[in-house]
Amino acid sequence: MTADLLLQAVVSGLLLGGVYGLVASGLSLVFGVLRIINFAHGAVMMLAMYTTYWLFTLAGIDPYLSIVVTGPLFFLIGMVIQRVVIEPNRFAAEHNQLLLTLGLALFLENLALVLWQGDFRSVRPSYAGASFVVGEALVEVPRLIACGGAIVMALALFAFLRLTDVGKAIRALSEEPEGAMLMGIDVGRIRAVAFGIGAGCVAVAGALVTPFFYVAPDVGESFNIIAFVVVVLGGMGNFVGALLGGFIVGLAESLGATLLPGSLKQLVVFGLFVLVLLFRPAGLFGGGRDR
Amino acid sequence: MNRRAFLQTAGAFAALGAVPSIGRAQAKEVKLGYILPVTGPLAFEAHLSLNGLQLAVDEINNAGGIKALGGAKLALLPGDTQNKVELGNSEAARLIDQGISVLIGPFSSLVAYSVRQVAEKNKTPFMLLAAVADNLTEGGLRYVFRVQPNGKAMSTLTMNNMLEMGKAASTPIKRVAMMHEDGNFGTTMGNHVEAFGAKLGYAMVQRIPYSLKSPDFTAELSKVKASKPDLLVISGYYGDSKIIAETASKLRIGVHALVGLANAAYSNPKFIADNRELTEQLFDGNYWHNPQSPRAKAVFAAYEKRFNSTLTSHGVQAYTVIGVLKDALERAGSTDRDKLRDALSKTNLADHILPQDAIKFDDTGENVNATPALLQVQNGRPVVVGPARFAEAKPVFPVPKWHG
Repeated sequence: MTADLLLQAVVSGLLLGGVYGLVASGLSLVFGVLRIINFAHGAVMMLAMYTTYWLFTLAGIDPYLSIVVTGPLFFLIGMVIQRVVIEPNRFAAEHNQLLLTLGLALFLENLALVLWQGDFRSVRPSYAGASFVVGEALVEVPRLIACGGAIVMALALFAFLRLTDVGKAIRALSEEPEGAMLMGIDVGRIRAVAFGIGAGCVAVAGALVTPFFYVAPDVGESFNIIAFVVVVLGGMGNFVGALLGGFIVGLAESLGATLLPGSLKQLVVFGLFVLVLLFRPAGLFGGGRDR
Repeated sequence: MNRRAFLQTAGAFAALGAVPSIGRAQAKEVKLGYILPVTGPLAFEAHLSLNGLQLAVDEINNAGGIKALGGAKLALLPGDTQNKVELGNSEAARLIDQGISVLIGPFSSLVAYSVRQVAEKNKTPFMLLAAVADNLTEGGLRYVFRVQPNGKAMSTLTMNNMLEMGKAASTPIKRVAMMHEDGNFGTTMGNHVEAFGAKLGYAMVQRIPYSLKSPDFTAELSKVKASKPDLLVISGYYGDSKIIAETASKLRIGVHALVGLANAAYSNPKFIADNRELTEQLFDGNYWHNPQSPRAKAVFAAYEKRFNSTLTSHGVQAYTVIGVLKDALERAGSTDRDKLRDALSKTNLADHILPQDAIKFDDTGENVNATPALLQVQNGRPVVVGPARFAEAKPVFPVPKWHG
């Protein structure tokens, strides 16, 4: 019986871990290039979830299909946010930039509260309840799709960073900002593109979780805090580390819930966070600069 | 008219401007002050309460006001807490300065815990609305009154209702699992359900506090399933309760029933409408009205007509509080706070729309007969299935679908 519980914990942990990984990848990328910790990351996810909700409710567009709209749309929104809000404060002190993104997060959440009230909404396509059993472990189809989608998206992004010129420029900027500038890279544009990609990643993650989650103005917070833990775990600015970190945190959460009493699973996650900061401050897989 | 007299008159009219009933300036009136979070995160819920107050006040005024006071009208004086403790205190003090006979509010237990001292110090009767924390009536306060069941009454009576139902269905409930959010509300409920087990003879086989922010409960619910409970009790808010019910369904959790305890989702009409299949036959122990009462039907119709929406349990509570106050004012024959307090403490009011016997207060100010209703979603509607004498439908128990 205990073996069944453990198997279930591993399965659910991995399924959710993929989503954590994708959310954290965007955060990590933005940190790597812009050197800011984006507190508004979760709020952008929330906006994307509302977009998915409205596309489904008003136009009947399938939440997974809507990624084709949501992803590019939030890439553009991210670029605009970077240009209008972040870039003018580029040379401000780091803590001011931090407060700026925190303010942005509060603004977006309250905007959502005004526009759509605090109601919980949900998107329930016909397949939302689908599930199957492997061994004795339950696998929910929407969660499986979310995890698979997150991995595909993360791999695509990885390939983009490795193979395209823009991707290489992003990596160059992340590893050696001054060198990149001297080599003629349009730093302003690349910073905007990186922020746009970060927003696009979290928007895709938002669309992927909507079929098994709910939509509310503060929904991004659940994922945002976890994403910080994942980023620290994987190494600030380390993109692959973020994906792996996502799986580790997902596993730690669900195993914690299975093996420990009560709400100690949160304790496991944040305990891990503190331990990594103490003993491996550059993250389990090293920071972005030493890859 | 000299300058001072002019200013006094002008000032008096300006003050009256803040009161809705400006046209009745000469008639004697009873000032009722309310403090509610009418702006801020709880604004939506606060207006549900406010509508209930307004409906009851207008009903009484249209029927000739308080007869023992020569037909004096009730006037509601507003105060906004924004759900903040400091504002609750200052608004309460302001209203007391304006000469209210009674203070009503303030929705959240946190604000209530502080405001009750302000009311006590100023010897002003304080009628609690919505706040459930057990400790609000503790400490030997004389001026605090609560009509609705507190956390203890809510949890013990709901468990009792479930156990009675189990006996009636020859499916006794011996093993109970509970999941509750790990804040003050859920923990209080969990403590009561656990403590009550020893008395009523059920074993708490699994108790899982959880964080509201957790996006997945599969591991927790697998543990619940493995402990083979007869009942799964859930005290939580909207989003978490929803995910728990969905995951329990997919896991084929194998219990006789899923029971909400003061749950924010399981008897919520919107949640039910959004999740028809999932919610069917869910139980919830919660505040409610008496569906057998013809008066309740009339009140619901009047509310619907006036506010173009359905009266909620928050509105029912508020409506009832005004009814209790009217009864006390008639007996006190005075707007004096101390006389009103004494009249309130001798309340024995049978004419109300709650699923309980007469409203009476004990020494601490708790309504001794306060009881939650046991609700079950049937055909997409929450109906009262217990206690038996208020029931409008027979419960479906055990619920086959949870056994998959």
